[in-house]
Amino acid sequence: MWHITKREIYDNLNSLRFALTIVLLLALMVTNAVRHLREHPKRVQRYQSAVTESLNHLTDRADDSLYKLAQYGPGNFYKKPSPLHFCANGGEPILPDTVEVDEPIVFGTIGTDDSYEEKVVLHGIWTLSYPDANLQNKDVGPDVSQVDWAFIIGYILSLIALLFTFDAFSGEREHGTLRLMLANAIPRHTVLIGKFLGALVSVSIPFMLAVLVNLLLISTANTVHLTAEAWGRLGIIFLLALLYTSLFLALGLLVSTRVQRSAVSLMILLLTWVTFVVFMPSTLAAIASSFSPARSFDEFWQQRNPAQEDLWDKYGNRLWSEESDAETLRAKSGFYTEHVERSERWREERLKYRASQVHRAHAITSISPATLLQHLIEAFAGTGFERHLQFVENTQRYARQFREFIVDTDRGDPESLHIIGVREGMSQKPVSSAGVPRFEDTLSLSKDFNARAIEILMLALFVVVLLSGAYLAFVRAEI
Amino acid sequence: MLLTLIRRELLDNLMTFRFAAAVFITLLLVVANTVVLLKDYEQRLTAYNTATEESHQRLRKEKAYSYYYEKLAIHRPPNPLSIFNLGLDKQVGNEIAVYHAFVPTIWDAKKHGADNPFLNLFNSIDIALVFQGVLSLLALIFAYDAIAGERERGTLRLVLTHPIQRGYILFAKYISAMLCLLVPLLISLLLSIILLTTSTAISLNTAEFLRIGGIVLTSLLYLSLFYLIGLCISAMTRRTSTALMLCMFVWGFLVLVYPNLILTAVDTAPQPSEQISVYNQIKQMWEELDRENKQFLRNDAVLGPLSRNGEGWGFHVKGGEYTFAESEDTPAILLYFYQTGFYAGKIETESEPQVPLLQNYYRFYNRETVNTVQRTWLVRKPALEAIYIQPANLGRMLLKFSPVGLYDAATEAWAGTDLEGIQDFFNAVQHYRRAVLDYFNDEKIFESRQWFAADQGTADWDALPQFSFQRSGIDINTKRALPDLFLLLTINLILFTIIFLVFIKSEV
Repeated sequence: MWHITKREIYDNLNSLRFALTIVLLLALMVTNAVRHLREHPKRVQRYQSAVTESLNHLTDRADDSLYKLAQYGPGNFYKKPSPLHFCANGGEPILPDTVEVDEPIVFGTIGTDDSYEEKVVLHGIWTLSYPDANLQNKDVGPDVSQVDWAFIIGYILSLIALLFTFDAFSGEREHGTLRLMLANAIPRHTVLIGKFLGALVSVSIPFMLAVLVNLLLISTANTVHLTAEAWGRLGIIFLLALLYTSLFLALGLLVSTRVQRSAVSLMILLLTWVTFVVFMPSTLAAIASSFSPARSFDEFWQQRNPAQEDLWDKYGNRLWSEESDAETLRAKSGFYTEHVERSERWREERLKYRASQVHRAHAITSISPATLLQHLIEAFAGTGFERHLQFVENTQRYARQFREFIVDTDRGDPESLHIIGVREGMSQKPVSSAGVPRFEDTLSLSKDFNARAIEILMLALFVVVLLSGAYLAFVRAEI
Repeated sequence: MLLTLIRRELLDNLMTFRFAAAVFITLLLVVANTVVLLKDYEQRLTAYNTATEESHQRLRKEKAYSYYYEKLAIHRPPNPLSIFNLGLDKQVGNEIAVYHAFVPTIWDAKKHGADNPFLNLFNSIDIALVFQGVLSLLALIFAYDAIAGERERGTLRLVLTHPIQRGYILFAKYISAMLCLLVPLLISLLLSIILLTTSTAISLNTAEFLRIGGIVLTSLLYLSLFYLIGLCISAMTRRTSTALMLCMFVWGFLVLVYPNLILTAVDTAPQPSEQISVYNQIKQMWEELDRENKQFLRNDAVLGPLSRNGEGWGFHVKGGEYTFAESEDTPAILLYFYQTGFYAGKIETESEPQVPLLQNYYRFYNRETVNTVQRTWLVRKPALEAIYIQPANLGRMLLKFSPVGLYDAATEAWAGTDLEGIQDFFNAVQHYRRAVLDYFNDEKIFESRQWFAADQGTADWDALPQFSFQRSGIDINTKRALPDLFLLLTINLILFTIIFLVFIKSEV
């Protein structure tokens, strides 16, 4: 078997396609690295200045008083740019990179006699809000996909895999060497596996070379820092790329065993490839998105509004009272917190509804291995829609933590009435801003891996099915 | 003689597996995508109709004129030919407000409709894309062994022993292959047109059929271009396998790699921050207006003290009174304006003497606003072009180094979904804004009582000029598509000449 593999590799190394592959992959990977080195520092700087600004808000509020901090909350949250952005762009321009902390709502004001100045009597507390996808895209330029690893692997590497295997058997059959080889005492499966490994190694060599150049460029630049975890993620992405390449190699071998002429084999392979890799994802996505009716903002509003009206009835006139006895304050506090809870729940439902639509479209488009790979690479590169949902979840967890912190700190002040969200009921003392918990946008590799295990298995399943198909076809084939 | 050759080639091509596969795959992809795209178009059309109706209703609810910001909105209908090439039709906003305080542009447009915006994470598709990918591949597959194959089999030698000019052989090969390739192209296009005509949402008129004809012509040239590339490779190589390999790499490079690679390498994203000085300039003009406004109020003996700190709202008019402030402040698109006013359902008799003064004030304020907008537009327009149009055009120009870019640009121009086609619409909206302002001036609405009060006659929205937009005529589409069409033709001719020279000189 090793003999066959070696023979295949030598054969391929001298071929035109090998040289062209190296040139093509190198050009793509170098462009990718250069682009990343140009764009990534800008992204990081944007993120850092935004985070600093939001921290400043937090410090200002904490320095003022605990009440101010409880009312205005922490500053906006920002999604940490992934250092592996060059692996998958993941719809970055469309996805929002922030979860906003809304200013407290002024529910009611009372006009005073002497001037037109109005006195705020009902002033709520902060809420989380999830911005929509950024569709107010002002760019009128041509719409092309960025060259990232997902593109290079998904489109280019799969095409190259087909070009390396389409004549594996049909070519030998045409030349008559297949007969010669099988005349020796080699079992057929050994031939098949030898061919497969030979092709895999010959595709991997140019790919590995291009990846190494790419990573060399990226890791030597002092603007991008790759941590140990990032390298681990890169390793997984590389293995996924090999798995995906194997899939197309197996497909190529399968068709090549069944077809007599290599030209016909290539024709079938290319048309299959075009259908599955290029057209299927977009066509299926279009079908999937027309499945579920879009729910308009008005519909959501109509669902939400009665619930908010209830709230006014529930707390009634007590809200307008200017007394500061504990009962009034408690009513106000209850009103504010419940209002916040309801609007946050409503917003979350809206996001979840949309996410479920996206997930459905993801599931349907996963019939195409190219989309499957795209999602996997996005997941491990820490970009894309799933990452966005994870970020949202992180902010929600932090929001809970932050609210608990407020209650705990307030409990520590003996002068306070411990009624959260109302000026008169809360501690007016400044808080040390160092003590306030900080938001951290974390990602966990093991969690990502667990969430994606099924998709990886599916990809592996595709490979196994195609390889065994090729084996069966080859064993039965007449030479 | 030529006919015999053509017949031979044609029969050779028609009876092959690749022809059957070509017809099958093109039909499958085009029909499947037409169905999907048609449904998408119908959805967009419904969204457009609902949105138009909603803004119509919203505007009619307003009793006073001054409140019309974002209520007088124009919606951009979806282009039926976007099925063939989507272009910018979906990308650009489709709801634009008409207001006297800014000049509407593409960038001020918003998106109506209730779609899930996250679904835009998935790629979109159109028929031009199918043709781009599949037709070019098919053309290369038909071409790679045209000469190299005959050379390998030895039949080329045989043919050339006859007294035939070599040019004839080339020509016959070209004609017959093109005839074969035309079959899948035309059948699939016909089927998709039949599907279009069955839909009630689309009614195609003569001009649109002519535009589709233009798209077919462009596709033909594109197809021929790739066939010639394949023929060229075939004429230069000795072995079919080498020719095939080269063809595939050329296809991969031109169709897949180049367009993405070049726009990754050259950054054509708009850079609004470079024009921040223009934005500040515009802001200054508005501040100047504010100063003039306060100056006017200070000089007015009655209104001055009544206005709050020199702001022109309120004036202590007794009656159901609401104040409003409309403002936009978006540095990225250099949009800045600030409008304040108030609205009284019914003005009470004790405030009645103030009314003529108010009318006088609004005449001054509105006229100055319109003048300020005119001045800001003089600086805003070129700056917007520098930020957005120039990089976009650079990107398109770079894409045109690949035939794919040329084909895309030409079909976009035919379909009217290119940047110029979209701009036609926004130019129409700008004209409409002028017409509305003229109407306001002529009918003295800016200084009328109905501008701010609804007690003595309310705003008559039905008398407003109507907006109408006609897509540019077929002549303009042709003019826009022609440069790219000519480029395609020129490349075709150059390639044919090269092949001819190579083939004449080559040894058999």
